[in-house]
Amino acid sequence: MSVMDKIEILKGIDNRDDTGTTGSETHRSNRYQVIKTLLLIVATASAGFGAIFGSIGTEMTALGPTLFFIGLILVCASIGIFAVLAGVGGGVIFVPLFMGFTNIDSYIIRSTGLFVATVGALIAARPFLRKGIANIRLLYTAALPYAVFAVIGSLMAGYIKSSMGPSSEAFIQGTLGVLVIGIGVLFVMKKNSEYPDVNHVDAFTEAMNLPMPYFEDSLGKVVSYRVKRAKVALVLFCVVGLISGLFGLGAGWAMVPVFNMVMLAPLKVAATCSKVMISIGDTAAVWPYIQGGGMFPLFAVPSMIGMVIGTLIGTKIMLRVKAGFIRPLIIIVMFGSGIRLIMKALG
Amino acid sequence: MNSNTPTNTPSATPSPSGVVYGDIAFWMAVAGSMVAIVGMFLYFTGNQFFDSESLLNGICRGQRADQIWLNASPAKNVLSGHWYLHHLGTSDGISMLGIGIACLAGVFGAWGSFVTMAIKKDNPPVFVIFVFVIALILSASALGWVSIH
Repeated sequence: MSVMDKIEILKGIDNRDDTGTTGSETHRSNRYQVIKTLLLIVATASAGFGAIFGSIGTEMTALGPTLFFIGLILVCASIGIFAVLAGVGGGVIFVPLFMGFTNIDSYIIRSTGLFVATVGALIAARPFLRKGIANIRLLYTAALPYAVFAVIGSLMAGYIKSSMGPSSEAFIQGTLGVLVIGIGVLFVMKKNSEYPDVNHVDAFTEAMNLPMPYFEDSLGKVVSYRVKRAKVALVLFCVVGLISGLFGLGAGWAMVPVFNMVMLAPLKVAATCSKVMISIGDTAAVWPYIQGGGMFPLFAVPSMIGMVIGTLIGTKIMLRVKAGFIRPLIIIVMFGSGIRLIMKALG
Repeated sequence: MNSNTPTNTPSATPSPSGVVYGDIAFWMAVAGSMVAIVGMFLYFTGNQFFDSESLLNGICRGQRADQIWLNASPAKNVLSGHWYLHHLGTSDGISMLGIGIACLAGVFGAWGSFVTMAIKKDNPPVFVIFVFVIALILSASALGWVSIH
């Protein structure tokens, strides 16, 4: 079998039946798994929200913080499961959902969202760098403008909070609402390519000498690749960094398309570089929030624990279920959260 | 070659500076998370920095972060910077220390990567400058030099 044949098989991996069975039997089995997964997510989230709302009425006893802690772990675990199945970072769901559907101060939610995204990315980065799939030349080049503008974004968040007073909340909610709907549209339109064709490399990108070959386990071959349009990508990373810092979103949803669709890096390189870059850029952005008093352990720690647990469960489910069904759901969640945020902003 | 396809290129070794970043970041993030979790469990045994009733009320009822500080912290004011370093005897202080260690993982990782890249010379010099500037930005951010507070 030629290498290109193998690539075609990998491209069509979602359409394969990995149990060997075919037809309606497999379809029924997958549908059963899908229903089970959805029920798990809904039940976990409901129990979590129940515990959080229960905790508000019992704050006079020791049970209040305990219920809140457990509830938050359950809610974030369901977000983590959902995020893994949808192929996005938890932060991009965490921030709009909590801002849209709870009363919690957006500054606290954004600082916690950044913390959760940062820790997840720091832990996930190691294997990508050890295997050399994440290209450090590419990611350090992109991380520089991303980190600078992520810091500027988080400083802007602090400035807006202190200078605009209560109206800052409406401003942030409205802007994030529009942004989240935009992300939903991006999910609808996104067409990533596993190995994009690069016909012509501009002089600037060529001079940067960015590509670093990596060994692809699934093919048993070294993948050599080229990238282009580095100048355009650097400008886009400035914008992505600003958004990430200002709104406390992990920005994998934007970075992967920039790497893969603008620079034409292979999808795997794009996804892994994006994960490592979140660990760098969001580290820069999270500190101004911490220094500004936006981080409370009672909210941040259970969010982190829940997200890690959810990610681990989601990864296991993903091995057994064809997760294509989640894609329309995440688009609905993004549109729903976006509309809710805009409604809140408009009072 | 016109397309990004697998080839028979003889080798593809991961960059040591990338490996160093990944290792430092991973272990510090894990250690920080553990400390934060330990602090949180101590929280339920008492010795809290924030008054738990006011804190929970403030968070759930949508009070602004600075208002929560006014109501729930013993200082009755927002303690900017690394306030937790002065309150490590409290469970919240320990949890925040854990969060701080986890958030410092990227900073130390970037410096480790810079040193490795400078010593090993496995990448063109421009990338050594890039990672140096990144490490400076992360350090400045962590030290509070770029804070508006």
